[in-house]
Amino acid sequence: MKMRVLFLLVTLVLSACGGGGSESSTPTASPQLPTSDESTNDANTANSSSPPSSPSTEPNDDTADQNTSDEIADTQNISTSPVVDIRLPGDVVRKGSVITIDSVIEGSTEGLSFAWAQISGPTVTLAGADSASLTVTLPSASSINNESYTFSLTVTDSTGMSTYTETSIESVNAMTERQASALMQQATLGATYSEIQSASGMSESEWLDQQIALTPTLHMPLLENYPDRDNPSHINRIDAWWKASLNAPDQLRQRVAFALSEIFVISDANTALRGEPEGMVAYYDMLLKHAFGNFRSLLESVTLSPAMGVYLSHLGNEKANAELNIRPDENYAREVMQLFTIGLNELNLDGSIKLDANGNTIPTYSQAEIAGFAKVFTGWTFAYSARWDRPSRNYTLPMHAFADYHSMEEKSLLGGEIIPKNTGPHESMQLALDNLFAHNNVAPFISKQLIQRLVKSNPTQAYIARVATIFNDNGEGVKGDLGAVIKAILLDEEARKYTSVQLYSGKIKEPILVKLHLWRVLNARSELNRYYTWNLNTAYGQGPLLSPSVFNFFRPDHTPNELQTLGLVAPELQIATDSNMISTINGHYGDLVWRMAERKTTLNPNTIYMYAQADIEMLTNNGLPPLLDYYDLVYFAGSMSDTTRTALVDLDSYFVNRDASLRVAQLLYMISLSPDFNYQN
Amino acid sequence: MSYFNHQSRRAFLSMCLKGGASVAALTSLQLQAISSSMNNTELTDYKALVCIFLHGGSDSLNMLVPLSGEQRLHYEQSRQNLAIADPLTLNTLTQFEGGVGLHPSMGAISSIFDAGQLGFVGGVGTLITPTTLADYQNKAVPLPNHLFSHNDQQATWMNGREKVSLNTGWGARMLERLNQHNSFTSNISLAGANPWQAGIETTPYALNKSGVMKINSLTGYQPQVDHVKSIMDRLLSTQTNSLQDAYASRLSSSISNVQHMNTLLEQAPVLTTQFSDNSLSEQLAAVAKSLSISGQTGNKRQIFFVSLGGFDTHDEQVTRQPALLGTLATALAEFNSALTELSLQNSVTTFTMSDFGRTLTSNGDGTDHGWASNQLIMGGAVNGQDLHGTMLSQQVGSNIDVGGGRLIPQFSNEQYFAPIAKWFGLNDSEINDIFPNLSNFDAFSMNLF
Repeated sequence: MKMRVLFLLVTLVLSACGGGGSESSTPTASPQLPTSDESTNDANTANSSSPPSSPSTEPNDDTADQNTSDEIADTQNISTSPVVDIRLPGDVVRKGSVITIDSVIEGSTEGLSFAWAQISGPTVTLAGADSASLTVTLPSASSINNESYTFSLTVTDSTGMSTYTETSIESVNAMTERQASALMQQATLGATYSEIQSASGMSESEWLDQQIALTPTLHMPLLENYPDRDNPSHINRIDAWWKASLNAPDQLRQRVAFALSEIFVISDANTALRGEPEGMVAYYDMLLKHAFGNFRSLLESVTLSPAMGVYLSHLGNEKANAELNIRPDENYAREVMQLFTIGLNELNLDGSIKLDANGNTIPTYSQAEIAGFAKVFTGWTFAYSARWDRPSRNYTLPMHAFADYHSMEEKSLLGGEIIPKNTGPHESMQLALDNLFAHNNVAPFISKQLIQRLVKSNPTQAYIARVATIFNDNGEGVKGDLGAVIKAILLDEEARKYTSVQLYSGKIKEPILVKLHLWRVLNARSELNRYYTWNLNTAYGQGPLLSPSVFNFFRPDHTPNELQTLGLVAPELQIATDSNMISTINGHYGDLVWRMAERKTTLNPNTIYMYAQADIEMLTNNGLPPLLDYYDLVYFAGSMSDTTRTALVDLDSYFVNRDASLRVAQLLYMISLSPDFNYQN
Repeated sequence: MSYFNHQSRRAFLSMCLKGGASVAALTSLQLQAISSSMNNTELTDYKALVCIFLHGGSDSLNMLVPLSGEQRLHYEQSRQNLAIADPLTLNTLTQFEGGVGLHPSMGAISSIFDAGQLGFVGGVGTLITPTTLADYQNKAVPLPNHLFSHNDQQATWMNGREKVSLNTGWGARMLERLNQHNSFTSNISLAGANPWQAGIETTPYALNKSGVMKINSLTGYQPQVDHVKSIMDRLLSTQTNSLQDAYASRLSSSISNVQHMNTLLEQAPVLTTQFSDNSLSEQLAAVAKSLSISGQTGNKRQIFFVSLGGFDTHDEQVTRQPALLGTLATALAEFNSALTELSLQNSVTTFTMSDFGRTLTSNGDGTDHGWASNQLIMGGAVNGQDLHGTMLSQQVGSNIDVGGGRLIPQFSNEQYFAPIAKWFGLNDSEINDIFPNLSNFDAFSMNLF
């Protein structure tokens, strides 16, 4: 994608002052010229040679285009005052960089004097303020926002005629490697060193925009059958998840889809979906496709997913039969409200619970609305089913409706809205999903959970409100723009933390994401390129689409015993049980110590090994401190504490005479269980 | 550690919770040493409670069904294709109109029932105060929050009260009341974290159902193990921030608890009782194994938590429910046999809880979230061979049906818990204290023991 230069505004004010040669008898009279000409340049080749500006050119709408190849400001021919062009530093101006702003004078510079001054922006030191070129060292980033500066230049000739120009620039963040690593802890499945390197130098939003624009890496093409089988099995979809998660360049999308899979939960752990790996993968791909799309479309795709239809039993759900005491299945009706859209209680924009005049919580729905939505979700079954009672079992296409099995009764929705009787399945579905989407809870309810999945367990109400506001209106009047929501979450001050250290920031990392991070950095692979990881739930307490129930592995409001008195939640600690924690660290030990490829003489083609050759060489050639610096960057985003560092040094002292691969393995294992690494700041 | 009296220990733990000191700094053995200085003289006997949680909301009104007469007709009319055709007859000591039939897939427990070591509790559910249909419709009495919602109702059952700002489970509260919570071995879960066992000062030790769990990095050449362990201990005892500390203290205690438990479990005798190859049986086998070493733990009271999922039978109930109830019955029978082998059947009481009962009406091939339920309780101390509480009439549109066959409980679940707590050793005032709504009911109307 072409980088867009932000706000290279050049403002020109010319004035003729003093001097006997002036036509004007009034020294202060300004020429009849536009006082400013603003143009937003789409330039990316600012350093190309700049033609002298044409004195006769009047500013017009084409100015921007004409100037796209340079950063020359328009100048106006006025009397005999010096004709000055300003040449800005090219491309994007980065915070923390040294920039030079050149003035280019038409004709001779003899006898001219230059005076640069700063008009606005954070105060900077001006070097060469009395020369043709101004050099400024821009401060490094102190916020996520671009910083605006305006400088003025007065060029005076020997006759006293002067030209005054103002030049505005806007400086853009350039992430350090540490900043890039910190962002990528929240926004990827675990960044590798080269990914961190390529993100550094970009601003946070440039990197996010780049990620959002990447083509989705879908998992279905990676679903490969077990050798000698005609159909994929459960383990093949786990294999596909690993392959995509490890290798996909669209890491932000993969991370967001994983987060969505923990909100819009389906699972094939001990359910009928166990035998439907294609359906499970199709569901995950659907989440990937909608990760930056609109929430309303996501909600519809979730609702019409046959895998969800089977999981929450609205697939095949029929209208009532009073004679047989049969009424519509309420399962999806209930959970779509409780878990996927609005939750149980009325919320304020900032996620806090609304109270009525008596101080009581206000339920969002009652049995009447559940019954209403249950009727909406009748008449739907697998696509291309020949008949209602001959379901096709097509798990990859959205469900289709059979009007004969849809309830034509009146349907009560939220807020007293009623779908009139005799409304068919498609129209009812649209009305019902619109009704859910319109509820004021959706923005805070979903925003908070996404913040918790990506950034921190205990966001402030103000943070939730800021994100929920974007959820409700992306700035262009659109509600539910998830791309905008994700950006708002990740660019928020509470995520980037430029100015302050916030109490209760961060979150405990999910164990499967810890494993994934290690595997990505260590290029985990088997010779046969198979990732058959059985029993992720037993080993790590979680896995992709493996929740024990629709309530996910952990609840967003889980308060562990240790944090009760502080009133903090730590959802991920709900699965940090004794047996899960021990099996998790055992899993890391197996990966890092037992299955480091460099420690093996022969490799089993099916076994997944870690590759740490670069680490081993660094340790061997450069010693421990550079290796720890590197680990600090890739695993801790620069937040490795002195305690952890010292502990690692002391750990290594025991192994110092052993093979470098063992030393690396032991260091990595200790990192894998360390509190610093398991906490995402 | 004798200088640690109860007060200072509490103060210390309180300080730990507030972040002033690290629980991680204490090993479980130290904690045990602290606890052993406490006064446990009141309890001389050993008792254990085993909670089987049936996740998803068991259709327990289809576990106990009427056999004949008008009640049977109501039942069949309500249940239609989901009605149980050939229930097993239970000869309950108390007579109920229409009789009491047991789901035919649960035959494995009928002999335990007949032997008087297993009983049922009928018509129970979450209630704040006795509630009639008119009360419900007119909102004339306070109702439990978020009826029919899985996680909320699970929590209400396990907390034994409505949610408050600081939530604890009634299992943990009993242990803490009895000062029996100080060894991690007193509070064991085979199903991970759960509200029932979460207290102020105790959380469940999550035992792996396979029992012994080796810690790979702490196995092998001892000097290396010692070195690695010393580095781990340093990392896990450093104070940083609340979330990180919570992680560190969890991992630290997990390591010491697992090592301690491994030592105990390695001494466990091999039981001749065979357990089936399903999750619930495996969990109960691990409970039996833990019970077999209860002598070494020094505990006078223990609570165990196991669970079986899949009871949310919105669909395919006709095939799913028999399998689930069959698994439950088989596991109970196996566990009972293990308890007999261990001569612990009079000391161990096993009971069920579940999210809620389900609707009498069908959604075609399943049922939806309901309210009143039936439960079962097993043990040598139990007044078995009976149904305590009541046999609810399964009639849609009756005066206890709030809609669709969601029946209003006629007994509060706290009335079910109270006699269990009493058997466990709590006195009446402590029981009223840990079950705040119990005073709205006849606390000991169920003669469970």
